[in-house]
Amino acid sequence: MILAHSPIVQLGIRAASPLAIMVGVYLLFAGHNNPGGGFAAGLVFGAVVTLRTIAGIQRPTHAIQIIAAGMAVVVLTAAAPLLWGDVLLDQKVLSFKVPLLGTIKTGSALPFDIGVTAIVVGLVLSLLDGLSATSLTNSPAETEIPS
Amino acid sequence: MIWVFLIAHVAGVGCAAVAGRSGIRTALGVAAIAPTLTAMWAGVSMASGAPPTTSTFPWVDGLGLAFRFRTDALAMMMTLLVCGIGVLVFVYAIGYFAPNAGGASRFPASLLAFSTSMLGLVWADSAWTLFIFWELTSITSFLLVGHNNTDAAVRIAARRALMITGGGGLALLAGLLLLENEAGTSTLTDLTPVQGSAANVAAVLVLIGAATKSAQVPFHVWLPGAMAAPTPVSAYLHSATMVKAGVLLIAVTGPAFTGLAVWKAVGLTFGIASMLWGAVGALRHRDAKLILAWGTVSQLGLLVTLLSLGTAKSIFAAVSILFAHALFKAALFAVVGEIDIRTGTRDITELGGLHRTMPIAFAVAVAAGMSMAGVPPLLGFAAKEAAIEAVLGLSGFDAVVGATAVIFGSVLTVAYTTRFLITVFGPGPTTKVAPRRIAMTIPAVMLAGAGVLGFIAMGTVNAIVRPAAIELNPKAEVYELLRWPGITTGLLTSLGIVAVGLALGAAIARRATPRIPAPVGADGADAAIDGVLKFAPRLTGRVQHGSLPVYLVTMAGVATLAALPLALDGSTDHLVAWDHPLQALLALVIVASAIAGAFVGSRLGAALTLGAIGTAMSGVFVLHGAPDLALTQLLVETVIVVGFVIGLGHLARRFPEVENTWRLTRLVVSGLGGLIIMAALAAAGADPSGTPPVGDLTAGAVEVGGGKNVVNVILTDLRGLDTLGEVVVLAVVAVGILALGSTTAREEVQ
Repeated sequence: MILAHSPIVQLGIRAASPLAIMVGVYLLFAGHNNPGGGFAAGLVFGAVVTLRTIAGIQRPTHAIQIIAAGMAVVVLTAAAPLLWGDVLLDQKVLSFKVPLLGTIKTGSALPFDIGVTAIVVGLVLSLLDGLSATSLTNSPAETEIPS
Repeated sequence: MIWVFLIAHVAGVGCAAVAGRSGIRTALGVAAIAPTLTAMWAGVSMASGAPPTTSTFPWVDGLGLAFRFRTDALAMMMTLLVCGIGVLVFVYAIGYFAPNAGGASRFPASLLAFSTSMLGLVWADSAWTLFIFWELTSITSFLLVGHNNTDAAVRIAARRALMITGGGGLALLAGLLLLENEAGTSTLTDLTPVQGSAANVAAVLVLIGAATKSAQVPFHVWLPGAMAAPTPVSAYLHSATMVKAGVLLIAVTGPAFTGLAVWKAVGLTFGIASMLWGAVGALRHRDAKLILAWGTVSQLGLLVTLLSLGTAKSIFAAVSILFAHALFKAALFAVVGEIDIRTGTRDITELGGLHRTMPIAFAVAVAAGMSMAGVPPLLGFAAKEAAIEAVLGLSGFDAVVGATAVIFGSVLTVAYTTRFLITVFGPGPTTKVAPRRIAMTIPAVMLAGAGVLGFIAMGTVNAIVRPAAIELNPKAEVYELLRWPGITTGLLTSLGIVAVGLALGAAIARRATPRIPAPVGADGADAAIDGVLKFAPRLTGRVQHGSLPVYLVTMAGVATLAALPLALDGSTDHLVAWDHPLQALLALVIVASAIAGAFVGSRLGAALTLGAIGTAMSGVFVLHGAPDLALTQLLVETVIVVGFVIGLGHLARRFPEVENTWRLTRLVVSGLGGLIIMAALAAAGADPSGTPPVGDLTAGAVEVGGGKNVVNVILTDLRGLDTLGEVVVLAVVAVGILALGSTTAREEVQ
């Protein structure tokens, strides 16, 4: 594929990745009060991984581990309220003061969202893996320019 | 107390599995602990006359489901049999298996798991508790019958047993549902007589369930096959437990069904057919264990017959025979297992002279066999006497059918018992025997001894059996087992039965059995199971042929049909051209992209048109004031288009040519689908159902979910369970993709 052999594309994707990840993190935290949320954040991270994969910068690995971690976080967050007698998925709101940043208000929805993000990223990774995305970047037969 | 013993049993299963590492005998010893304690508790509480207890554990409150147990007299009698004989079987198995036998972790744990299921079944006081343990006995007995899993014939026999008893379980499930609906309760001890056509259907279904478990003709074909199991399993499953489950079911549901003609007719048909055909089978076979197995079919037929007759006396007789049968049949199986181990054969034409070389086994077999034949001074005599009295006391049609069948069946029982004893132990070329295994002898002696002791201490047996019968029919309290009934018609009949049976058995005992009867029924059952297994992939091949376009057309077609009723009603008055002029522009982009996507020849082009549609859709969401939806849509489109491009790298660049008819089909389905769904959406807007809950949700979002973004609060809090379910689906999909086409997996293979 052309992307793997274009320094412009490679460099561009390398430079854009941190910015895109910041957007993703913003969406994750903003989701509580503004548009965004775990699913959107996961898709942004997924897009980053996808671009980096087809540019030949990285390989889609550890999908299972990321999905497992996401599932664990989601299930634990959902089940934790049961321990102190509340219903499943009961929401706990926390707010505390941090120097420089002011009052931070968050809740148990945040870890839940983080888990969702991880699962979405894992899904994208496994899609890339399942579609053998890396073989496209490496195979010389595929390097011809599509007409 | 019920919970303590159930938990002890379950814990015992785990311990036995672990103890299996140090050999099968240790594991069997460990597994025997819980039944020993339970049997002791049952004995003590029966002796002290403890009042019946019940125990309830709510399970699904909303559906009124609860685990409900009771320890009335019937349950305690069954406990004594299940656990008492269970302990003896565990001891017997210690002798039966070589110390280094395989399956050391599996066998003792499975046997105890079966015993646990059986205990739950006899204690169950709710139809659903009973059903759960009923199914558990099917599964655990499958493991036990298929213990020698390297033998194909054993696996087939185990599968047959599972399919027949499992199929009966389905009938039972339907029957119990109807019964609960008709009787208004699932509590077995609260059942009241039911009437009507639904009750009749329920009665037949419950009887079919019972007949499969209790090996009634024509469902009996699994039982002879189940003799492929190790003999301790046969001694346990086919004397006191598994096969008695069906009889117990008929007994406990009897109070609801006894008034129904169909209950009696179907029950009597099953019972009499099994009693006679089982006895004929026992006379035809050459394998000593199969003779006992067919004898069990016959005895179970007698029990079902007596229960179906439904009089207080016949129920009392059935409970008595159930008790006696558990003892003598377990003893006989134990003897046959010992003969098998010590001589290496169970074929009665090869056996002979064992009364000299195996005197203890001979004594046990004679005592147990006489009990089975109903000869004094043994417990079986008193029980059989009660049965004869019960059928002679009937009147009308019942008397003719019941008495004839029971008397004829009893003659055949005496005959096959005589044949069994003469051919195995009687004169003939003496078979060589290996040394005695004491662990096999003791349980056999105790089981046969119980039959003798039961006759001597008839009062104790009455104290166990009578209250159990009274649980089923309060009028049974006037009856009791007698050592000596006096010179009555019943006794004379019994004597006649024994005399004719002895003569018949002795006459045919040494007659050459030219050929072993072919297992026609079993082969038929296997052929049916194989047929289903062959038919299923063919059907799946038809329905799931793997063509994605066909799946898509099918799905679109079904969706169109589903939307059709919605599309047909509804007005168009509420429709406006647009809320905002930009909507028209976006609609134009969407329609143009859709048309282009349908006609473009290159796959990449098609993927890009889809991306254009999606992106324009997110613009529509923005115009409708749904930024969250728009954001998600945009991101999904981005990732999907890149995914498409990657996927297309593996495919030909252009779409393949298709036949015209297929192209036309797709065109019609998608065109109609688009139109009808459009009409349905337009109609849906005309008649919104109620006020949208937006106001409440917005107000509640901050308060309940602590966030201002209503969509996110819904996702993570108000409808968090849905989200949880959705992410589980995502995770499963991801794992599925990895399993199907993981490059890492492929690299590892290479």
